[in-house]
Amino acid sequence: MTTYIIQRLFIFFPMLLVISFLVYSGLELSPGDAVSHMISPELASTITAEQLDAMREAYGLNQSFLTRYWIWLTSMVQGDMGYSMAGGVAISEIMVKTVPATLELSMVALFFSTILGCSLGVISALKRGSGTDNSLTVAGMAGVSIPEFFFGLVAILLFAIELKWLPVGGRLLPHYETLWDRIPNIVLPSLVLALMMTAGAMRYARSSMLDVLAREFITTARSKGMPEWRVNILHGFRVALTPVVVLIGFRLPLLIGGSTIIEQVYQWPGIGSMFIRSVRASDYPLVMTISLMYVFVVLTASLIIDVLTALIDPRVRLGKE
Amino acid sequence: MEDKNNIALSVRDLKTFFYTNNRCNKAVNGVSFDVEKGKTLCIVGESGCGKSVTAATIMQLLPTLSRIEEGEIKFQKDDKIINIEKLEKNGKEMREIRGSDIAMIFQDPMTALNPVYTVGFQISENLKYHTNLNKKEIREKCISLLNDMGIPLPEKRVDEYPHSYSGGMRQRAMIAMAMACNPKILIADEPTTALDVTIQAQIFELMDKLKKENDTAIILITHDMGVVAELADNVAVMYMGNIVEAGTADDVLRRPTHPYTKALLESVPVLGRGKNQDINPIKGSTPDPYNRPIGCQFAPRCNWQTESCDVMPEITQINETHQVRCHKYEQFFEKYK
Repeated sequence: MTTYIIQRLFIFFPMLLVISFLVYSGLELSPGDAVSHMISPELASTITAEQLDAMREAYGLNQSFLTRYWIWLTSMVQGDMGYSMAGGVAISEIMVKTVPATLELSMVALFFSTILGCSLGVISALKRGSGTDNSLTVAGMAGVSIPEFFFGLVAILLFAIELKWLPVGGRLLPHYETLWDRIPNIVLPSLVLALMMTAGAMRYARSSMLDVLAREFITTARSKGMPEWRVNILHGFRVALTPVVVLIGFRLPLLIGGSTIIEQVYQWPGIGSMFIRSVRASDYPLVMTISLMYVFVVLTASLIIDVLTALIDPRVRLGKE
Repeated sequence: MEDKNNIALSVRDLKTFFYTNNRCNKAVNGVSFDVEKGKTLCIVGESGCGKSVTAATIMQLLPTLSRIEEGEIKFQKDDKIINIEKLEKNGKEMREIRGSDIAMIFQDPMTALNPVYTVGFQISENLKYHTNLNKKEIREKCISLLNDMGIPLPEKRVDEYPHSYSGGMRQRAMIAMAMACNPKILIADEPTTALDVTIQAQIFELMDKLKKENDTAIILITHDMGVVAELADNVAVMYMGNIVEAGTADDVLRRPTHPYTKALLESVPVLGRGKNQDINPIKGSTPDPYNRPIGCQFAPRCNWQTESCDVMPEITQINETHQVRCHKYEQFFEKYK
């Protein structure tokens, strides 16, 4: 198992390196350079080519592409993410503020959607063809196909404005300090974010479970006189879980990306809102850092899936030890 | 069939029907047999004749769309007689019988073991639910069971997953699982179909040994006449949901009286008779279960069919042990005299 994890890590770092290079060259290919974004349009006509060159010289932008990449990469590794071009705030400072907010939101959503999705899927499979199954199927279809921002707006309208149960948005309000104070704020955005994934996980868990329940080892378990819960959960669900875990793991980046919209709808001060702002402002250092962070999250997620599937299904470990 | 106390399981007029698309498939249509303690009953027949359904019915492991329509399954547990057909399908009493009193091994050991649990865990489940042994004793019992089944290095193998076992070893592990609680009856549903011939012989040897040592009654479901000749004490030949001929192995194999049994025996090549021996496959194929012939089910494929075959023949007791379901049995039976 340890060797398996180490092997996965050996793939992890080169991947991260390659993708960071791609991110960097992607920005290199985009029109204009950092200097052209530093100058306001009004000044652009008065500035001379010499002045521009002097600025490039000063920022080290006339060095070769690879040298610049190397400088960027090494300082990135040391934790120096540079400064945002809008306002000159250190990017690390922005990240420290926004990343926890986004992680909080998506982890809560992940937690809800995994538990709900799996259990509803299993119930649906066990009661195949019943009224419960059919209504869950319809709900699942709706959940998968209706966009999140729509749900978000409807939820605000219903629970925040009409019923006044929950706040409209925001994360940390001035006089709200304890965990309990903060919970009402996260309920709506996390549930809306979880909704789509719950529906997906549910459909997947259902079909995976149905597939497993028809397998012969289920009959074997029954023929040993095991009670139904043990047959269904221990023998059935445990095996059905593997594809569901893979699905949820690959949705994880989507969850963080998807939170971009929900963060907008709920004024959640997370990385998603920051990303949208930085793209609008052509704040390249910030865009790059956030993209790289997304890459890191995707790779970490797939590393976690690999380890989890190996834990759940011993056959995955085969040949790796 | 002589002494009542000798009978572990007695099935009377059992009917199991399947319902799909508003049609009814009478998969098992009035089957009666007895299983004697410490004896092997072979149920033989072509694919789709109801052998496996009979086995599943005894264990109440039928799929959702089927049910026991009529009949009795009487199981002798200690001194009580339990009517299995009256128990709730997955209820407590039925579960107590499954795995401890009646155990089952399946056709394909590749799919019958759960891939995500160790073999030891899967055997121990049985002991955990049906015995009062503690954890340590259960583990020791698992190892000794694997050892009895001839699995090398059982202390190590007990913690391995099914995927690191070979086909033959998996079937041994299945048998270890089934034998864990010393069942009174072992139902083996074509246990060697998925295995190669050398492994087949080993598995049967093992089953035979267990039968002798533990006085376990075995119901062996097979379509292999060679296996029947080798292992059976009693034989029941099934065709389209009915037992067409039953008796001791000697009765059925040496004096086959039903045309179907004769045809089955003639369709198997015999080793040593050379290349030029006559093999007579049974002509035609089994009828559509939804569109059955009236009367004798075998009549359309039978060489001796007459008008009287339009009426379903009753079971005739030829002698104490031998019974047949055919109008014309006399003409066959005469020949043996």
